[in-house]
Amino acid sequence: MATQTDPRTDDGAAADDESGPGEIEARVGLRYTLKQVKRDTTARIGIYTVGFVTLVALLAAIDYYLFDYAVAETVWYNPVQDPDQVQRLLPPVGMENQYGPGVIEHPMGTDHRGRDILGRLFYGTRIAITVGFMATGIGLVGGTLIGAVSGYYGGWIDDVLQRVTETIYAIPFLVLVIAFMTAFGRDLTFAMIGVGITSIPVFNRLIRSRVVSIREEDYIEAARAAGVKDRNIILRHIIPNSFAPVLVQATLQIGVSILIVAGLSFLGFGAQPPTPSWGQMLSASRNYMLPAPTFSLFPGIAILITVIGFNILGDGLQDALDPRINN
Amino acid sequence: MGLLRYTLWRLAQSIPVLIGIITITFFLANQIPGDPVEIMLGPSPAQEQVEAIQARYGLDRPAHERYLTYLAGVASGDLGQSIYYDRPVLDMILLRLPVTLYLTVSAFMFAIVTAIPLGVLSAKRRNKPADHVSRIVSLIGVSTPSFWIGLMLIIVFAFHLGWFPARGLPLPWADPADIRGAETQLEVIRTSLHHLAMPMVALGTLQMAQITRIERSSMVESLQGEYVKLARAYGVPESKIVRKHAFQVAQLPVITIIGLGLSTALGGAVLTETVFEIQGMGRLIITAINNQDYELIMGTTFMFGVAFVIGVIITDIAYAYIDPRVAYGDE
Repeated sequence: MATQTDPRTDDGAAADDESGPGEIEARVGLRYTLKQVKRDTTARIGIYTVGFVTLVALLAAIDYYLFDYAVAETVWYNPVQDPDQVQRLLPPVGMENQYGPGVIEHPMGTDHRGRDILGRLFYGTRIAITVGFMATGIGLVGGTLIGAVSGYYGGWIDDVLQRVTETIYAIPFLVLVIAFMTAFGRDLTFAMIGVGITSIPVFNRLIRSRVVSIREEDYIEAARAAGVKDRNIILRHIIPNSFAPVLVQATLQIGVSILIVAGLSFLGFGAQPPTPSWGQMLSASRNYMLPAPTFSLFPGIAILITVIGFNILGDGLQDALDPRINN
Repeated sequence: MGLLRYTLWRLAQSIPVLIGIITITFFLANQIPGDPVEIMLGPSPAQEQVEAIQARYGLDRPAHERYLTYLAGVASGDLGQSIYYDRPVLDMILLRLPVTLYLTVSAFMFAIVTAIPLGVLSAKRRNKPADHVSRIVSLIGVSTPSFWIGLMLIIVFAFHLGWFPARGLPLPWADPADIRGAETQLEVIRTSLHHLAMPMVALGTLQMAQITRIERSSMVESLQGEYVKLARAYGVPESKIVRKHAFQVAQLPVITIIGLGLSTALGGAVLTETVFEIQGMGRLIITAINNQDYELIMGTTFMFGVAFVIGVIITDIAYAYIDPRVAYGDE
């Protein structure tokens, strides 16, 4: 039987589907979440946006790993192969600037080295989505473990862990990641790890407060009395019960991570040229803002759409999963 | 506990965090590959020169010894010597910090002044057009990179319309002799505000959006409170309910988000300063990193931490001021 305090996640929701009227609906688990999200218009828009961007990233990744840019090169002219015909800083189709009119081959124009902006945006999606998910994943796993252990055991373990995460939080995270990358490496891998570490306190705080409140619930008492190991209580009962708020936070955090990594790339920390990333495109565009303003325009819009997608999805999940706001 | 004792207690509490910040930055700075002496003297310098420099900056001693010396130095207000600028780190920071604080504080003022009315309006007209507009504005605000807003502002308002200058930020209390085109102090202030407008908006938009969101949801909740229902039942006018009954209670979460937003804003200042070529702390740390100036990297990172910790303490005190239960310790 599924009740509101059922510690099981998927099983709980599955049982709920067959339950007759009068049963209390399980408010945890993936299936319940999906059902709620389908009802919520905002969340649906978020899912479509995120889905679209992720699909683009996936296509870019396939082209990159399996075909070595071959597909893109047949669609988008790549001047690196043919330096004589480079058309630098062209405007989008239908516009004209001092470098000439926009051409249909480059619908969004070209950059300072004559590369197609749309093509580079396409590949930048791969970087953005990868860093967004990876950095959030690191923060999620680290923060969940620290928060769960800290909240469950309390005492000096809690004190030490909380002071350490508080300290990490006290250094403005962009500054911390820059210092971290200076020490260990300026490339994208360390950007992801650095941003992941700075997001640990966010998840830590969330999970810890959940654990502290769940710890005293009857079913945890029961599990403990039945001799279930601490580790299993945390992994099987406490963490699954914090599923909803963590999912919301993680979705929002992906957007935040994409913004931070774009900022890092803008400062020269992150994806190194010629790898196309949105932040680095914006950084390059700074020198051409007067003759070719659209060069600065499009990468920003790409970031905006992607991050809005994750934010709408996060908000939608929140509305769908929080019965107080929902009613 | 009174407000003063609460303040002192909060200050004392921040000491371990500050030591933690120093430890983290020292550890990171120690990991930085490359040799600062080589950057200073160029490749293949004379052995005596290298040793002299190493001895002067203490680079010849083991790490733990340098850590303790550094910690003792910070405690007595000495942040070490910048190798690149050949000046005390503290001097460099004191030169740059006012600009960053001026920018960050202004950005917060802009954010608060725009966000609170917007959030209250949104809550009052819940699910009406005004609410939708405000929610879309704040959604875009939290999703836009601040440096890109800066670039767009420069393109439109500096390059095309010519309304605002694209770079630099003179301080309002600067000497008129140092500012081009300004003869009196009043003109310096005007020039300064003129330069401030765009970076302030670029940096403050994210804060504005975040505060609007919290203000809205907090006001929505507050307007559903029992005391509001009671006031309505007594026939208190709706505008007075919003102003007198719901507003103050709703500000607690807003203050929390302002405190947490400080970290984002100080970090964002690095980007804003880069976009607008402002010589503040953000540019200082980037210069320090590019020149492998260890003590300057540690000093600037530490100062960013200090600025954040002080900001959080101020918000905590504001919190205690609005909700006295916090200072008196009964929750």
